[in-house]
Amino acid sequence: METALYLTRRLLQALAVILIVTVVVFCLLHALPGGPARGILGPQATAQQIAAFNHEQGLDRPLPVQYLYYLHTLVQGDLGTSYTLNEAVSRLIEQRLPKTLVLTVLSALLGLLLAIPLGMWQGVRRNKPVDYAVTTLSFVAYSTPVYFLGLLLILVFTQVLRWFPSQAPQGDTLAQVFADPLALVLPVVTGAASMIAVFSRYMRAATLENLAEDYVRTARAGGSRPGAILWRHVFRNSLTPVIAMLGYYVPVLFGGALVVEQLFNYPGMGLLFWSAAQSSDYPVLLGCVLVISVATVIGTLLADIVQRIVDPRVKTERI
Amino acid sequence: MSPARTRLLAGAVLSTGTLLLAGCSGSGGTSSASHDSINYALPANFTPNWILPIGTAAHLNTNNISIANSLWEPLIAYDGSTGKIAWNKAGSVATDAKFAADNKSVTITLGDRHWSDGKPITSADVKFWFDLIKANKAEWAGYNPGKAPDNWISFKSVDDRHFTITFDKAYNPQWMLANELSSINPLPQHAWDQGGDAKKTWTYLNNAAKNISGYASNSLWKTISGPYAVTSFSTAGKVVLTANKKYDGGEKPGIPTVNLLPFTTADAEKNALRSGTVDYGYIEATDLDQKDRFTAQGYEVKPWSGWAITYMPYNFNNPAMGAVFKQLYARQAVQRSIDQAGLAKVIFGGTAVPGYGPVPQGQASAFVSPVQKDDPYPFSTSAARELLTGHGWSEQGGVMTCTEPAQCGAGIAKGTKFEMQVLSQSGSTVTDNMMSAIQSSLAKTGIKFSIKTAPVNSVLSQTPQCTAGQSICTWQLSFFGTAGSWYFSAFPTGDSLFQSKGGSNFGNYSNPAVDTLISRSTTSSSNQAIQDYSAALAKDLPVIWLPEPVYQISVIRNGLGGFSQDSLANFHPAQWKWTG
Repeated sequence: METALYLTRRLLQALAVILIVTVVVFCLLHALPGGPARGILGPQATAQQIAAFNHEQGLDRPLPVQYLYYLHTLVQGDLGTSYTLNEAVSRLIEQRLPKTLVLTVLSALLGLLLAIPLGMWQGVRRNKPVDYAVTTLSFVAYSTPVYFLGLLLILVFTQVLRWFPSQAPQGDTLAQVFADPLALVLPVVTGAASMIAVFSRYMRAATLENLAEDYVRTARAGGSRPGAILWRHVFRNSLTPVIAMLGYYVPVLFGGALVVEQLFNYPGMGLLFWSAAQSSDYPVLLGCVLVISVATVIGTLLADIVQRIVDPRVKTERI
Repeated sequence: MSPARTRLLAGAVLSTGTLLLAGCSGSGGTSSASHDSINYALPANFTPNWILPIGTAAHLNTNNISIANSLWEPLIAYDGSTGKIAWNKAGSVATDAKFAADNKSVTITLGDRHWSDGKPITSADVKFWFDLIKANKAEWAGYNPGKAPDNWISFKSVDDRHFTITFDKAYNPQWMLANELSSINPLPQHAWDQGGDAKKTWTYLNNAAKNISGYASNSLWKTISGPYAVTSFSTAGKVVLTANKKYDGGEKPGIPTVNLLPFTTADAEKNALRSGTVDYGYIEATDLDQKDRFTAQGYEVKPWSGWAITYMPYNFNNPAMGAVFKQLYARQAVQRSIDQAGLAKVIFGGTAVPGYGPVPQGQASAFVSPVQKDDPYPFSTSAARELLTGHGWSEQGGVMTCTEPAQCGAGIAKGTKFEMQVLSQSGSTVTDNMMSAIQSSLAKTGIKFSIKTAPVNSVLSQTPQCTAGQSICTWQLSFFGTAGSWYFSAFPTGDSLFQSKGGSNFGNYSNPAVDTLISRSTTSSSNQAIQDYSAALAKDLPVIWLPEPVYQISVIRNGLGGFSQDSLANFHPAQWKWTG
């Protein structure tokens, strides 16, 4: 019952947040001077063509009316049609989102699979040469811009060594994307690099904190093997902050995806959003903002739920 | 090492290994590597999204038109694909156009051609296009009030292969052929007509064209007249064209399969070029220092010159600076502060051409006047300063200030500073460098020039035609010409660009004498008319003339030839051939 109440409250909060985000973004977009018509139609468009475009897109109506109309169509599942891509926004998102998810999920998986053991290892080997070495590497990876790292990987692995292609998979469907796994390596590694650096630092700090806890000392005094203490107790407790951070990392992953998509010619959500912003494609911009907002809200919600499962103390603290 | 540490290490190694193993299959990107196909790079961040040769301005951009023209051959292909701007009869459905002696009508002859379903291409197919455009002109991308189809008053079929179009008055045949009749595409009336209702048919075709995923499968798009057919049209932008075996025109496809590849950014395209997956791509001017590297890789670097002019429009209605811009001496001072030859050489690496007037100078043509050719306002900041000081301006704190309003000109108050701001297209290092160089040379004249940047769509949106009282009228100068500001049709008239109240006359330039010259250039049969227009605007400076950059710096694989790069910025896959 407590959990159901908690979830209901969080879902209502999430809906309110998403609604506020759409209002803010809608107002900001329409506050841009000039409107999108001239940009979309190009310098050679006539005044008549611009007026026709504005009328067709409802841009000649008062702003509140436009917003209410947007909400009306939104609840019917219609996100509008892209001004520039000649496609329904929902269809564009349907095509691009899975591609970005593949990229971000694989990058996150690789990042976590490396960061978690690495962070724990550093915690265990605190202040030893290996800890210093990995810390230095983490700082280098964290401070290296994703764009630069991607270019470097392209240069080395596609032009010098020629091990991998310079482009991510070019297929439209997920099956086509997975059919060319070699092409996924560089984009995934590029996306994962900063995540490894960030999360290994969190994991290291959490491991150190937990290793100093009384329960570890008690377990040691009770004769538990170091491996058992590390994996059964320290590992699980150290995961809590990492899981909490993961939810908030969703927008960062999308942001990183934009750079990776640009570099590796992989038209996903990040690039869709960037292109729409460049071309004042309002329906696509709003659709992308909506998806990113929902993803962030769901991500934080899931992180909270997983955290409650991993660490029962959270349950009593938060309700 | 303790067991726990060993396991930690093993975990890290295993996770890496798993992902690497997952990646150790499949194949990398490859070039077409055969003479049966070609990989052509589309401009960065462009996704083909329209197949129909008719439509709104939002859809009919140059790349979509190039694809559409490969499927439905134009009536009169008046372009630069043969190396000069002329009627390319091999790529046209029409074989002849005879103008009446009074230049008030034209009779056109169609070639003995057939649709891919075997039916002949007839005058009815041209009339079908004519009626569609007449009935839906407001929505048509090519519509400009007073021009086609307004000035085409009737269409008369003589027989299946001859028809006559009558105009509202006499026109310059070259202009009519190059700028108006060239927009006609015979369309398969027997396959597309919806009961003779042009409005209904327009809606039907446009709605069908909104379904990109149906381009390769919808039977509607199978009845074609051009050298290629669509085999695949991905919503992500990749288009595969294959030779139309039923094509009976003059431009037989030289390469059976054409892959048009989309790229998210110019960098992604450049990386693909370097790894050899593109046969016909491009680089930016800032990459020209890597020319040798591409040459060593088996490519030829070949600038693609556009039939375009590049400029910065003044906003003559700007409340702060409009009065200054209206003074010819002030515009002369600005123009004399622009070192076009220096910009072309240093900023554009020698690929741009200085432009001194309204007619493109990248190609030789009979339209440019000697006045424009000879640069009426050569670069000289000292001469520019003299122009200002001679008209009541003096330098105060490094900026020219009007101290003698009676000499400065109407509407210019005492104390007015010569300070102007440009809203310039972002995203191009070359443009940024050019703006900085202009800023520097204008400063030598005593003109403060500040630069604000925005994406090109925002620049266009934020610098509209306006009146002084409107809040949007605060813009002073606009630049949207990284790849050329204005691409002309074959005959470079300035009707919508510099005519009073012209649709794309952003800065509200108005000069009745120029209006007359523009009008005469479209009606007179002599090239003198357009040369007079060229000379008048080279002298009157309706905008700041700037160097004309190339449309694209192409990087073409050795052995690909048989074509010229069309200065009207269209590509013609049927002309591409593997020669080596």
